[in-house]
Parts: sequence; structure tokens; C-alpha cells
Amino acid sequence: MDILIGGILLGGTYVLMALGLQLQYGVARIMNLANGEILVAGAFGAFWFYSGFQANPFLALIVIVPLAFILNWGIYRYLLSPLVRRAKSRGQLEVDSILATFGLSFIFVGLMLAVFGGEYFSYGYLERAVIVLEQPYGLNRIAAFCASAALCIALVLWLNHTRSGLALRAVAVNPTAASLVAIKVARTSALAFAIGGAVTASGGALLSMFLTFDASIGVIFTLKALIIVILGGVGEIRGTIVAAFMLGLAETAVASLIDPGLTLAAAYLLFIVILLVRPQGLFGSRS
Amino acid sequence: MLEIRDLSVFYGQHRAVEEVSVTVSRGEIVVMLGANGAGKSSVLRAAAGLLPVMNNAAILMDGRDISHCPADEFVEAGIALVPEDRAIFADLTVLENLKLGAYPKRARQKERENLENVMSLFPKLEERRRQKVRSMSGGEQQMVAIGRAMMSAPAILLLDEPSLGLSPLLCGELFRSLAVIRSAEIGILLVEQNAKRGLAIADRGYVLENGRVTGSESSEILSSDERVRKAYLGGD
Ligand SMILES: Nc1ncnc2c1ncn2[C@@H]1O[C@H](COP(=O)(O)OP(=O)(O)OP(=O)(O)O)[C@@H](O)[C@H]1O
Ligand SMILES: [Mg+2]
Repeated sequence: MDILIGGILLGGTYVLMALGLQLQYGVARIMNLANGEILVAGAFGAFWFYSGFQANPFLALIVIVPLAFILNWGIYRYLLSPLVRRAKSRGQLEVDSILATFGLSFIFVGLMLAVFGGEYFSYGYLERAVIVLEQPYGLNRIAAFCASAALCIALVLWLNHTRSGLALRAVAVNPTAASLVAIKVARTSALAFAIGGAVTASGGALLSMFLTFDASIGVIFTLKALIIVILGGVGEIRGTIVAAFMLGLAETAVASLIDPGLTLAAAYLLFIVILLVRPQGLFGSRS
Repeated sequence: MLEIRDLSVFYGQHRAVEEVSVTVSRGEIVVMLGANGAGKSSVLRAAAGLLPVMNNAAILMDGRDISHCPADEFVEAGIALVPEDRAIFADLTVLENLKLGAYPKRARQKERENLENVMSLFPKLEERRRQKVRSMSGGEQQMVAIGRAMMSAPAILLLDEPSLGLSPLLCGELFRSLAVIRSAEIGILLVEQNAKRGLAIADRGYVLENGRVTGSESSEILSSDERVRKAYLGGD
């Protein structure tokens, strides 16, 4: 039972970073390998606000989200959109963007190392135990989960029930058809990439409430987000949410039943099995 | 009125369309005939703003030069294309596809009215409004494609082989809907393999051969033209 609840709490906070990558890959068609670094930057932001101004991470989001939006919009506009315009096919764009964002991830790691140094960071906000079904859980975990769920619900409602959200999904499904209904595809892609980055950064700020992190841990989260997106199916919002919970549960189960050092290995195992058995993901329909 | 002047289309070094001029007014159906590879689809794609327009050519909508505008401004100017591959949003529902058709600013105010019109033109779509388009038949998908174009409140509708893959029964239905659309003061530029049907419904027609216009006449004259009969009507 404690595995189930612990897994759900962890998975719930993974949802955000995976949805962020999903927006960037599914809509803007950029496989962003610097996604994890954006997440860590969000975590550093929350840490900085907490230690510098005693501001709690939820307040910090009010600053982190718009900053991450602007940063990612700039990345798309100045670094990635030339690649998009140049690419003759989706495959070529994929290769180009993977190389470009992989390089970008090293730049971010270097910058964060220079600013914050190489040690591990954590802070103690809401570090109290709450008893749920006779088991203690950190209040910080529960609060992070609730905030993540609220953001996630808002994002899904926006995607499903507004004209601009529908336009985003239209670009994800068929960019040519989108331009035939007067959607500005380039601008919508930039918007999706920027929102994806903001969502990922807020995921990082929330994760930092209970995880210890350092400047170079981003790559692990990039891989986790990637695993979730592939697991859930590219472009599948529902699949992404389910897959995030699956990964959270699998990691928690392995950590408490076998060995905490094996969580990443377990995540890969899940990933490889899915790639072999259902390469389009659990919910993907595309061949 | 849509006016295409001296349009040429290049694919690399290959010239697919040479100095083609075509006009379409509101409330008329204009058919474009031509063999496979004659350049019909290229003309339509250029007229929808999907291909670059050379300097000496021009595309005008109601007298305004839109040659160098991005595709979304062609739609805002009142030109809606249903391309050969239909370009529908396969993973979205019928209703979402139609709503997206009303994404252009020009169409937003009359969205509800246009939706009612489309639903009465294609009652099938009303029944299937929550179905994903991917899981519909070819004919139903064609209705979604035309319906979506109608949702953008076009002045000129460009249709690339709309009857492709339809049964004779559905085909008849489709052509009746085209007549209804024309009576709503919308102009239609129609590319059609079924030249007989196309000429029967059209007011005027163009003949395209190897990327050049070689004939521009009223439908009656084209239907009785010896060359047209031989090439496109399979006549004797
Ligand atoms: N994307 C493209 N790249 C290169 N050449 C192209 C492309 N599209 C069309 N062409 C060439 O341009 C010429 C005209 O093609 P287009 O599709 O306009 O013909 P069409 O009249 O629509 O033919 P069909 O009746 O078969 O649909 C053809 O020779 C074709 O090979
Ligand atoms: Mg064609």
C-alpha cells in the first residue's frame, strides 16, 4: 500500500516534465535533450527563492514560469527555428534538433555549475510527516503532488477546451492541414515549445521540494521524461499521464522491494520492453 | 474574385506549370481538366498560398495582391483548399475538424451558422460528430474535408479531385452539394477526373496540357469540342 501511494505521489510530479517534453516533441517536433536541464534550472530557481527570500516554491513558480517561457521561446526562435526551416523532412529535423539540444544541455550544465557550484542541494520546506493509512509521508511530497495535479489539469483543460489549445493539437496532428485553416504554424510551434519549457521548469521547482539535486542531474530527468513520452505514445496526453504514474510506481516498487540503486535500471527495463513490444507506446495509434 | 496571373511553378529545375492565368468569381463553378501530371494540383496549391510565387506572376483576391503572403493570409482573404490528400486532422473528431475550419478570424463570428449549414449539407457528419476522422470511410472523410473548408467562410473554394474514391451514388450526392454551395454565392475551382460530371455542373472550364492552358471556354463549348471529347470524355 505504501508503495502504491508513494508511487502515485512520485508519478504525479513526473507528469509535468513529461507533458513539457510532450508539447515540445509532439507539437513543435523538437526532441529536446536539454529538457532535464530546464527542469534542474526550475529546481535551482525554487532553491534560490527559498534560501534567498524565504519564498515558498509555489510563490517562486510565479516568477519561474514566465522566465522559463521566455527562455524557451528564445531558444526556439533563435536556435531551433532555423533548423526547422532548413529541414527537408521530419527525420532530418529530428536528427538536427537532437544534436543541437544535446549541445545545449552541456551549455546549461556548465552555466549552472559556474553559478551554483557542483555540490548537492536541498531545502526543508514543509518537512513534516503526514499519516496516510497508517503510513507517514512527507507533507512536501503531498503538496508537490497536489500542485502538480492542479497545473496538469489546467493544462489539459486548456488543450481540450479552448480554441488556442485546439490549434496546438491541430499542429501536432497535421501541420500542413493546420496552415490550411489559417493557423500560423511557426508561431504555434514556438508557443508550444515555450509552454513545454515552462511546464518542465515548474515540474523541476516542485520536484526540488523533496529531491536532492545538483547541476548535472538533468540528463537523468531527460531520460525519464523520454521514457514516459515513448511509453505513453507521442502526442498522447492521456497516455503520458498514465505512463508517468507507471514509472513512479515502478521506481518506488523497485526501490523499496529490491534496492534503491536499481531504480534507473528498472526504468530502462520498462522502456526497452515497451520499445520491443509496442513501439508506438501504450496508447499510440500511429504506425 | 480570385485572379491568377501568369503563374509558373517549379520543382527544382522542372517547370510543372507555365504562365497559367485563371479566374474564378463568386457563384460560379469552374472546372479544370487535364491529364495526369498536367499541373492541376500545382495550380491549386499555389492558389492556396502553399507554393512560392515568382515575381512576374500574381495572385489577386478581389483585386488585392496576396502573392507573397503566407498561407494563413490566403485563408483569411477567403480562399479555402481541399487538397488531393484531403489534409484532415485524422486523430481529431469530426466536430474538432469543423471547429478548426472556423479558426480563421473571418469565420469566427459566423461559426455557429456555418456549422449548421455544413451539418445540413452533410447530415452524416451530424451523426458522427464525436467520431475520430481516422476511423471513417473515404467518402465520409471527404465530407469532413469539404465541410471544414466551408467552415472557414470562403469566397472561393478550391477542390482537388473531390470525387476520388467515391461510389457513383456518393459522387452524385457530392455534386449536388457543390450546386448548393454555388447557390450560396461561393465560387468553386474544381479539378475533376470525371470530366463528364465536371463539365455537366460547371459554368466554364480550362484545359491544362503539360502545364499550359490550351483552352478556356464555357462548359457547353468544351463538352462538344472534338479534342476534349477524345482526351477526357472517352468519346468517339
Ligand atoms: N512535390 C513535387 N516535387 C517534384 N515534382 C512534383 C511535385 N509535385 C508535382 N510534381 C511534378 O509536377 C508535375 C505536375 O504535377 P501535379 O501534381 O500538379 O499534376 P496533376 O495535374 O495534379 O496530376 P494528377 O492528375 O495525377 O493529380 C508533374 O510532372 C509532377 O511530377
Ligand atoms: Mg493532382
